[in-house]
Amino acid sequence: MHDFLQKIVALPWDQSPQWLFLIPGLLMLLAASAAVCLRNLIHSALCLVLSFICLGVLFMALGAEFVGFVQLLVYVGAVAMLILFAILLTPAGEVAASNNPLKNFRLSSALHAAAGAAITFLVLAGLLTAIFFSPRAAHAVLPAQAAAAPVALIGENLLTHTLLPLLGIAVLLTAALVGAALLAKEDTSL
Amino acid sequence: MNFLALLKDTLFQFLGLFKNLDTLPVEFMRLLREFLVKLGALCGIAVPQWALDLVSSLVIIVAILVTFLILFALMSVFERKLLARAQNRYGPNRVGPCGILQPVADGIKMLTKEDLVPRAADKVVHYLAPIVMVAPALMLPVILPYGRDMVAVDLPVGILFFFALSAGAELAVFMAGWASNNKYSILGAMRAIAQMISYELPLVTSALVVALVAGSLSPAALVAAQGGYSFGFLPRWFVCTPWGFAACLLFYIGALSESNRCPFDLPEGESEIIAGHLTEYSGFKYAIFFMAEYVGMFAINGLLVTLFLGGYQAPFPFLEWIPGWCWFFAKLWAVALSMVWVRTTLPRFRIDQMMLFAWKFMLPMSFVALLAAAAWYYAGQGLAGWVLSALIVVVPYLLLGTFCFTRHHSATNRRYLYSE
Amino acid sequence: MNFPGSGIIKGMAVTARNIVGSYFDRAHAKRLTTEQYPEERPTLAEASRSVPFLVYDGEDPEKGMRCVACKICEKECPPQCIYIVKDSDANGKPILRPKVFNIDISVCMGCQICVEVCPFESIRMDNIYEMSSYDRFAPLVLHKAQLLKSNAYYHGIRPTEATATDARIEAGRIRKEAALKAATAKVAATKAAAAAKAAEENKPSQPEQNA
Repeated sequence: MHDFLQKIVALPWDQSPQWLFLIPGLLMLLAASAAVCLRNLIHSALCLVLSFICLGVLFMALGAEFVGFVQLLVYVGAVAMLILFAILLTPAGEVAASNNPLKNFRLSSALHAAAGAAITFLVLAGLLTAIFFSPRAAHAVLPAQAAAAPVALIGENLLTHTLLPLLGIAVLLTAALVGAALLAKEDTSL
Repeated sequence: MNFLALLKDTLFQFLGLFKNLDTLPVEFMRLLREFLVKLGALCGIAVPQWALDLVSSLVIIVAILVTFLILFALMSVFERKLLARAQNRYGPNRVGPCGILQPVADGIKMLTKEDLVPRAADKVVHYLAPIVMVAPALMLPVILPYGRDMVAVDLPVGILFFFALSAGAELAVFMAGWASNNKYSILGAMRAIAQMISYELPLVTSALVVALVAGSLSPAALVAAQGGYSFGFLPRWFVCTPWGFAACLLFYIGALSESNRCPFDLPEGESEIIAGHLTEYSGFKYAIFFMAEYVGMFAINGLLVTLFLGGYQAPFPFLEWIPGWCWFFAKLWAVALSMVWVRTTLPRFRIDQMMLFAWKFMLPMSFVALLAAAAWYYAGQGLAGWVLSALIVVVPYLLLGTFCFTRHHSATNRRYLYSE
Repeated sequence: MNFPGSGIIKGMAVTARNIVGSYFDRAHAKRLTTEQYPEERPTLAEASRSVPFLVYDGEDPEKGMRCVACKICEKECPPQCIYIVKDSDANGKPILRPKVFNIDISVCMGCQICVEVCPFESIRMDNIYEMSSYDRFAPLVLHKAQLLKSNAYYHGIRPTEATATDARIEAGRIRKEAALKAATAKVAATKAAAAAKAAEENKPSQPEQNA
């Protein structure tokens, strides 16, 4: 009974329909450009959240359900919340005028546009070259065993092959936690 | 065979299904598919597989949604009646017999209210917030195993799916609070999100305790791991083990907090901050938020039943004649009513008390439960394992409980910052 | 036994006892103190008041009406919600009864001043409260026929006050009768004295005329 809806979720790479990549991909690009271009800061943060969700859907379409759901859980649930909190708690508008270090570099707007276009072209060219001319593009099939028990495999790999990076990240996160607690502590020296 | 004969045949088969109530829903779906295929054959068309899948999926989705909406409606009445009885008054008893039709009256009221949007509010975000709240909430019940082989979607990472969707609810709360352009709404929304994030950690960790022992994140596998009876009659539900009991309590408290229920209903307490992030919502949008909250509550109760209370397993062998899905909903209803019981008993937490409880008590206790589960598992699940895990749970509980909450406000300890 | 969390468990036991008890408690009949309104009406105190009404004695409202249209209550009413028109007989001579007696109960504030100033014990405060209507104006002006209620009704809603009023009226009547009797006796005595005096004055004049 459970195989009807199962077909929509957890598709291996070589059986995914094209629309499952095109729609989240395009939506993600749109959301990301909206996140950069929108005036209202909260709106751009919410568009960023949309792009996170689309990335999670892309992960799931690739067959990596665990990573997809973790992406939703961590990025949308925690990182996006932090971004939104940070936006809310910093007063808008006060940052712009006084602290801008580049306020003496007044270039004309045409030059601004030209510089932006050049940078965009270079970045896009680099990305497309990497995508289409990389040697990996020919081998687009995941190893068969990955589909069988992904979560157990991930766990095993984390705790055996990639243990050192895991512990390093743990130390980093603990340091961040301690630092945040220290920053937020009450000033008792009054 | 003509249409009437087909109909008669299917009807007889349907009536024959009632012999075994436990497998009734699964067999009903199979019968439906066969009926559609035969109907197609009668009309001369070969019904394609995707059409069959579509129809079956639609039937399952409608069944789940209708069940949860009816549960939501009944819950709203029974909660009010139970609260009233505990307070020595009658609950709603005007609308139907014993007030059963009260949700209909409430629905009519909510639907006919004027939909006010503040002029300075952010219209797009204000409109989207209820949608972002209710869509994940309605997707939550899809991974729960309601009976034997009765999972709508059997995800291997079902539990993670559940918590990932709860993140959507937090986002919706933020959007609701910010879009109202009302400083009390924003404040209420921030407190609500802080509460939901803080309690998500112990919630996920206590769910992981079960995943540790059962070795899988799929809810169907977790319920199957709780089958069988020890000593022939005692159920093997995870709540009957010391670490399982601790993890169940932690999960229960986390569930209370995630659905913003008393004693954690600071975000929506009327005397606190009007309605918090829901202040500027009226009419149908408020009804949507309300419904999403209750459906989320039932979904997380369903997860609690699946993880700890054995899902659709019967408690004793002589009660196995009651079908599995009946047991599931009975246990679900029992957990929901116990939440109402807790609501009548406990006053609301203050925000700092809530945070203290989450970070200083529940998070350490959830790690202790993890440790106890590991001890139980690796001690071979014999008597030594039980005693060891019980000790690992009880001793830190007593220590934390005694020293975490008693604050000695003696005269020498007080710091007066501005009294000079 | 005071482990952490025992307070919560004790509290939940109390709540559970209360929930179950509210269904099955036979000892305390008034445990649930809710008055289910349309089925059970509240018992009002005797002195509770809402809008005025006119008292009539006996069976016929028009004949037994105590009001004599003296218009004191109309003058004294602070929000001026009473409107009285005196009645006149066929010849146009005014008689002591009101033709029109209207009270606008949407204006009446229930101050009871009309009751306090009425010399004839005819206007009293009613305690009805179910006076809603679909129109704000016309149905809320009570006419004489709607305002006239019998003395028996008055006894029903305010027994002590009605008994005292009846006693006062009775005492007044007795006093008036006694005064009337004394007055008639006095008038008769004066008339008899005058007649005797006239007879005495007339008698000496008679023989003078005859002689």
